[in-house]
Amino acid sequence: MRCSKARDYLSRDLDGLLPPAATTGLLEHLDACTECQSFREDLLTGRRLLAATEPQLPDNFDWKLQLRLNQALQQRAGETAYPWLEDEPASRRVQWWPAFGAAASVGLAAVLAVAVFMGPQRDPAAVTAGLAQAPVVTVAAATERVAAVTTSPAASLAGRSDRRSLFGAPRGGGLYDQGIGRSVSTGAISPSGAGIDRGWSGERLADLQTIQRLRERNDQLLRMVYQYEMQVRTLKARLDTTGTPGLDTGDSH
Amino acid sequence: MNPSRDNTPYEDPRQLRAALRDLRDEDLIVLVQQGQKRAYDEIVARYKGRLFSFIMRMVKDPALAEELTQETLIRVYIHAAKYREIARFSTWVFTIATNLVRNKMRQRSRRPMMISLNPAPEDDEMPMDPADTRADTSEGIQREELGRLIAEATAKIPERYRVPFLLREVEQLSYEEIQQVTGLKLGTVRSRINRARTRFRALIKPMLKNETLLAELEEIEARAAAEDNGPATDE
Repeated sequence: MRCSKARDYLSRDLDGLLPPAATTGLLEHLDACTECQSFREDLLTGRRLLAATEPQLPDNFDWKLQLRLNQALQQRAGETAYPWLEDEPASRRVQWWPAFGAAASVGLAAVLAVAVFMGPQRDPAAVTAGLAQAPVVTVAAATERVAAVTTSPAASLAGRSDRRSLFGAPRGGGLYDQGIGRSVSTGAISPSGAGIDRGWSGERLADLQTIQRLRERNDQLLRMVYQYEMQVRTLKARLDTTGTPGLDTGDSH
Repeated sequence: MNPSRDNTPYEDPRQLRAALRDLRDEDLIVLVQQGQKRAYDEIVARYKGRLFSFIMRMVKDPALAEELTQETLIRVYIHAAKYREIARFSTWVFTIATNLVRNKMRQRSRRPMMISLNPAPEDDEMPMDPADTRADTSEGIQREELGRLIAEATAKIPERYRVPFLLREVEQLSYEEIQQVTGLKLGTVRSRINRARTRFRALIKPMLKNETLLAELEEIEARAAAEDNGPATDE
């Protein structure tokens, strides 16, 4: 038997797991090999050393355990009051809820602030009076108003006194007179917010639809501009090749 | 150790304690599942030393070992209902302990060691703790020194070999139980224990040539044997 095999057997023999047939072979090897004898003695001494040097518990272990156990039970009792929190381990519990909640609250507050400060400013007395004397709108009058709105954007804004530009300055003088108008779709600044009807209806869905519509229109216009530019370049190239002076497109350098 | 009201039929606590002492671990945990808190005390008494010894040899930090031992025992209590007698109770307990130790060691290896720039607290600023009343005798020092040497040698065994080695050599779990605790194959358990023994032998070999140290070992063993044979003290 080789020493490596004998040492493997020795380890198993130490645990009482060596079959009797193998034990005979091992004993024969041990009689002849002093190295393996020494190995066996060292293993036994190692075991004795481990047993003799067993780490001792601190004396205050019990009361510390009692303390921690009470804390754990209290905590657990608290958790049981919210069984939905126990469905998944704490580590996997959704951590972004508080942040999301805070962000949503801030966002909502901002929208409300905009709606309050930039929304319709009506005299309560006038509103009450208005309600008492409901206007009678004839078809002809309505048509006239529609025509006025469609012909002039400025008239559009002027004609809708109950709406204000979302980012533009309020008309009629006021705190925001010097404000600037910014296009919702492109972010381009216009002097007074006039040009496109960006009235704030106060209804979330309607406003989102308006924004979407404006974006689509903007994209459409940008595509048209791009197509015209390409046509102009093609024509200029043709003119260059034919030797005739090109059109003055205003972009000659 | 009684976290809440006891519901024992025994009126005399000594009688109850004696009755619990005769029970198997598996019977005790069934009693814990039924709400018998005294049975948990008995489990703690049986396992706290074994767990601390095993964990201490794994993490080599007394404070951390104490914390993890407590955590293991707390989990035993809190999750007692989850224990089913398909495995031995000791296997279940050591599985909890091994997982806790592994998680902690993984955390420690991920987190770089931090050095505090604040000066160490003065002696009088140290947090108050009930005093450790262990006698600081020469025997204690002797044993401590030997323990330190053995702990150093044990710590040098790679973790994957150390776990099965300690479970076998210190806790005397069977190979099948170690297989259940570690999730390794039986052949792997056997070979890892074998390798750990060879490594441990190589590490303690210089110590074994030291006659004084061997004499100390014999003294410690003789004292332990005398304590075991001495008059039993009732708590």
